[in-house]
Amino acid sequence: MNQHLSGAAKTLPRKSDGLTGVFFALPHLVLFATFVLAPVAYGIYISLFRWHVLAKAHPFVGLENYSAALSDDIFWIALRNTVYFVVLVVPLGNLVSLGLALALSSVRRWGTFYKIVYYLPVVISIAVVVVLWRWIYNTEIGLLNLYLGSVVGALRGIGLPLPPFEPLPWLSNPSWVMPSLAMLTVWWTAGGNMVLYLAGLGTIGDDYYEAASIDGANAWQRFWAITWPLLRPTTLFCLVFSVLGAFQVFGQSYVMFTAVQGGPVSGPARSGLTLALYMYLQGFRQYEIGYGAAIAYLLFAIVLGLTIVQFRLLSGQSEAKS
Amino acid sequence: MLQFLLSEIMFPITCRLSASFIPANKVLPRCALSALALVGLSLSLVGCVSPSPATDGIASASSGKTVIDFWNGFTGPDGKAMDEMVRRFRKANPTIEVRTQTIPWGTYYDKLTLSLAYGGAPDVFVMHAGRLPEFASFGTLQPLDDFYAEAEALGEKKFAPVPWRATFYEGKQVALPLDVHPIGLYYNTKLFKEAGIVDAQGRAKPPKTFDEFIEAARRMTKDTNGDGRTDQWGFVFTWQRTNWLTIAGQFGASILSPDGKRSALDSPQNLRALQLMHDLIYKYKVAPKPEGVDAWLAFRQGKVGMALEGIYMLASLEEQKGLSFAGAPVPQFGPVKAAWGGSHLLCQPKGIAPEQSRAAWKLMQFLSDQSLLWARAGQVPARSDIQGSPQFGALHVQTQFATQLPFVQYEPLHPKSNAIFPLIEPGIEAVMLDIAAPKEAMRDVTRRVNQVLERP
Repeated sequence: MNQHLSGAAKTLPRKSDGLTGVFFALPHLVLFATFVLAPVAYGIYISLFRWHVLAKAHPFVGLENYSAALSDDIFWIALRNTVYFVVLVVPLGNLVSLGLALALSSVRRWGTFYKIVYYLPVVISIAVVVVLWRWIYNTEIGLLNLYLGSVVGALRGIGLPLPPFEPLPWLSNPSWVMPSLAMLTVWWTAGGNMVLYLAGLGTIGDDYYEAASIDGANAWQRFWAITWPLLRPTTLFCLVFSVLGAFQVFGQSYVMFTAVQGGPVSGPARSGLTLALYMYLQGFRQYEIGYGAAIAYLLFAIVLGLTIVQFRLLSGQSEAKS
Repeated sequence: MLQFLLSEIMFPITCRLSASFIPANKVLPRCALSALALVGLSLSLVGCVSPSPATDGIASASSGKTVIDFWNGFTGPDGKAMDEMVRRFRKANPTIEVRTQTIPWGTYYDKLTLSLAYGGAPDVFVMHAGRLPEFASFGTLQPLDDFYAEAEALGEKKFAPVPWRATFYEGKQVALPLDVHPIGLYYNTKLFKEAGIVDAQGRAKPPKTFDEFIEAARRMTKDTNGDGRTDQWGFVFTWQRTNWLTIAGQFGASILSPDGKRSALDSPQNLRALQLMHDLIYKYKVAPKPEGVDAWLAFRQGKVGMALEGIYMLASLEEQKGLSFAGAPVPQFGPVKAAWGGSHLLCQPKGIAPEQSRAAWKLMQFLSDQSLLWARAGQVPARSDIQGSPQFGALHVQTQFATQLPFVQYEPLHPKSNAIFPLIEPGIEAVMLDIAAPKEAMRDVTRRVNQVLERP
């Protein structure tokens, strides 16, 4: 990507180009400055005040909101849940995406059709996804328990010593909540990374595989010695962005638990409470906008730190490659 | 316009945050920044605007009509009844144009709060009794004392005392009470008769004491298809908050200390109430564990003998085909008489223009006068004269639930009530799921609630 950009710069050496470029970027810059940069700066300002939406006065409190958040054990619960979600979603999601890409890259007939099918969930709004999965996860009448029940029944039928199937409380038992949200998220997002992995696979020349086949390498050896190392830039890229995305998880838990009237706010025993959601709840349910902004900036700091680390990883990787 | 920006753009932004978890096709800096977009953007919009008096000043001189906006959250059958009442008002008052906006309760207060803070507030709006101190403490509600002084027909004597007291904040009266909606016992008369829990005339007999309750619940809890799993329950917990407030109230527990400065949730009374709720599931085994069960649906489908729910759920049972049910006061679990209840109050925003205010008061009075219609939708009118009317007496469930009015308990009428319930509820839930003992659960909750109460 970097090579491509620097190549373009070389072919366009004229001086006025800088200014022309700015003009072309202006429509976006104006919107970006108005709707992202300015609010971000204003958010920092707000986080230094005790700022209740209905209050007439907003006293300056310095870093009090930040220290309050750091000594608020629910903040840490939310952070722990978020990290747990990231740990569940990122490896699993990338495995599924890679698996799909590997399977689809060798499909000759109907390949595009399958790509569209697996990509489609990415396009669906999270509200719809959650409503769909709420039915799938339903303990009494859900599809998942129905299938699990018949699988267990069949295994028992052939004589395996399994206990009778007890329907699993996917959404109402605290220890199942995050795995359930993670599974849903993998289903929803796997298609996005699948497309990237497919593109990555496309860049690996057939001659490597041919040579390996001639040397008598089996499929597993070919994958391990050719595909995996040559796919590493793609893999790293996907991992980095999955981590950043997963840290900001909000909609899954919000729609599943918090948007429901009278339901437990973000899941049984707070098991689905994530940092982005806690920020929302403080800002827009308790109207403590200063405190919410402070949580937002703590999340920002975490994500920024991870971004820097991962950027290092990525650039180190591409240097090693060139 | 501003109203539009605040409410219609902020929510999509919230959603964008979730949408931003579509990995891989995002530009890196945006990923890092989008966490801030939610709080940041909405705030910048908010910050640009100076708070203005509530009305948008559409008291249009041209048409000669006073236009008032009325917001409520009645989206169910109660919404139909409310629409009918407003229609009658329009007919009786051709010079006043009422524009009703119905916003689901889930987002109602978000929208109301922003409108009160930054302009565009309605002229009349519904407020729950438990939320009133919060809004009143920020000075967002218009005092109505002058109107009450003028309207002699609408004095204290016309109202039940509990909702009447809830309309005051620090000595000023800021609301008109429309109803009381207490919790009560719904019971499946068919299951009662099958289990032989009947009176001398062979009618289903609702339990009055704890012993009767347990006895009835035990007789109705069974495995009807013989697969080894209980599929018919004597009792279910539906909304834990109201069930707990009722039972805790009956044990004499209060949520806050009398001065409202400390949590009283770790009191022995509350621990006893929580233990009893826990025991119904794990010791007496007459109620299912609150996981994987849509409790209210199960009651509607006739798989449950008893449930404690608000009177406003009546319509959802009446439309259920094949369900025979009845209502009764909550059985006596503890030593004190108590039942949770809420009230819908009608309020006006602070700083409302006098003309709008007068028209709004007219609407409020009218709705109060029409509250028999309101009662039919599943409410007990706050007006004691209407409660005493023969037409109300003909509403069986409503009159049963209404007998509890003298000892109905609201959520604490405290400005931080809304802030402490999200801290209390996970604690109750932990007890009900058998994750924590009542004592540990309430120790944690108490610490958190005290933190919030200490915060200025």
